[in-house]
Amino acid sequence: MKKWMCMNCGWIYEQELGDPIGGIAPGTAWEDIPEDWKCPDCGSLKSEFEMEEV
Amino acid sequence: MTALPKLEDLEDKSFDPFMVEKLSTGNCPDPYPRIHELRQQGPVVEGSYRKNFTDVPDVQMGHLPQVMVLGYDAVLHVLTHPEVFRNKEAFAPNLGRSFGNTITVMDAPEHTRFRKIFQKAFLPNVVTKWGETVVDPVVNRLMDGFIATGEADLIEQFTHHYPFQVIYAQVELDPAQAPVFHKLAIAQILSSIGAPQGPEASGKLGAFFAELLRQKRANPGTDLISHLATVEADGERLPDDVLISFLRQLMNAGGDTTFRGTSVLLTGLLTHPEQLRAVSEDRSLIPAAIDEALRWEGPVTSTFRYCAQDTEIQGHPIKAGTFVNTVLASANRDPAKFENPDAFNIFRKNTVRHLAFASGPHLCIGQHLARVEMTRALNAILDRLPNLRLDPDKPAPAITGHLLRVPEHLWVKFDRA
Repeated sequence: MKKWMCMNCGWIYEQELGDPIGGIAPGTAWEDIPEDWKCPDCGSLKSEFEMEEV
Repeated sequence: MTALPKLEDLEDKSFDPFMVEKLSTGNCPDPYPRIHELRQQGPVVEGSYRKNFTDVPDVQMGHLPQVMVLGYDAVLHVLTHPEVFRNKEAFAPNLGRSFGNTITVMDAPEHTRFRKIFQKAFLPNVVTKWGETVVDPVVNRLMDGFIATGEADLIEQFTHHYPFQVIYAQVELDPAQAPVFHKLAIAQILSSIGAPQGPEASGKLGAFFAELLRQKRANPGTDLISHLATVEADGERLPDDVLISFLRQLMNAGGDTTFRGTSVLLTGLLTHPEQLRAVSEDRSLIPAAIDEALRWEGPVTSTFRYCAQDTEIQGHPIKAGTFVNTVLASANRDPAKFENPDAFNIFRKNTVRHLAFASGPHLCIGQHLARVEMTRALNAILDRLPNLRLDPDKPAPAITGHLLRVPEHLWVKFDRA
């Protein structure tokens, strides 16, 4: 299965969990996350994420 | 097959870096009452964190202007504003001397460029594969050494060795060289107290890795060092000095912190038998148990940053040129974020992440490997040591140290297989 992963720190976006602390509600699709949202662990931009086999 | 380079021992064979390290980090039984007092004084408090707990001088940082930053929000602010709170100046006088030009001693844009290359080798989907192939054999071999006896000191016989042996396996180190390796990995950080064995160990590890890299580039295998020695980003290989520095740090940061984290996890569970039983019966609780152990007794209580410009935190000014003791432990036990923060409770419902691995661009690069190692170790212990409990005839485990936390012993009994 492939998921969006931060290439600076390895944090994985789980759609069912979202990122409530970062303002992303559970269930939010990756495409609907704003471009200025940052990785909750390391602060990298959304553009630093890649689809990775996990 | 080419013979791996030989690692040279310290000239003074009687020098015991483990004992010196223990003495230099102190035996403070519980720094948390003092940490709470400091946090209550405000988010920015003048002075050095270390000086609150020990009279052993810090020859590299002790004379520099310092403040402590305390509390969850203030600590997170420091960690996530790297343009103000820099790593280079903060770590050049200490870790930089021990390890060299490592990514911990860099800031953006240099850090961003190298970090991504290194992180690639430690992404979750990569290190998960090492669980079965690398971690399990090490864990089982060590446990085979005491499983028939029905009792053990899980620190001396298990946790103090397994993360280092995982790294040795990753770099395909000759097992006969392991004791010298472990010794040099610890000795290199003693530069911070002015021990001449610190730079000696750094130099000897550096010479070893330089030769190892030369060999791996000539005949690359599937091991971690071959990967790092040949990986390219934008058509460029990692420079030798950056790679050698990273490997020096890997021995220490990867081995020592996981040893401490696992020891604290086992201590937390064994001193709270009802939680140990819950995890044993429901292994899906393991990730929560690991995170709670790291929050409760994170292996590293404070880290440094350098304030590069006049700034303020929650209205409290910090002058440019100040070294900032960023007290991670005060964030992880901040009662504003964690209810009853001194209690070990794997069932707590957190609304924020703990900062044991820090946060921001310098977030621990090995956190995913640490989680894999701790998960595998705990599962093996729960599977193979039935009726695990503290040994009632031995002293209870006592976590000590003001900067690096670990219990010296963890004596247990279990039913023999």
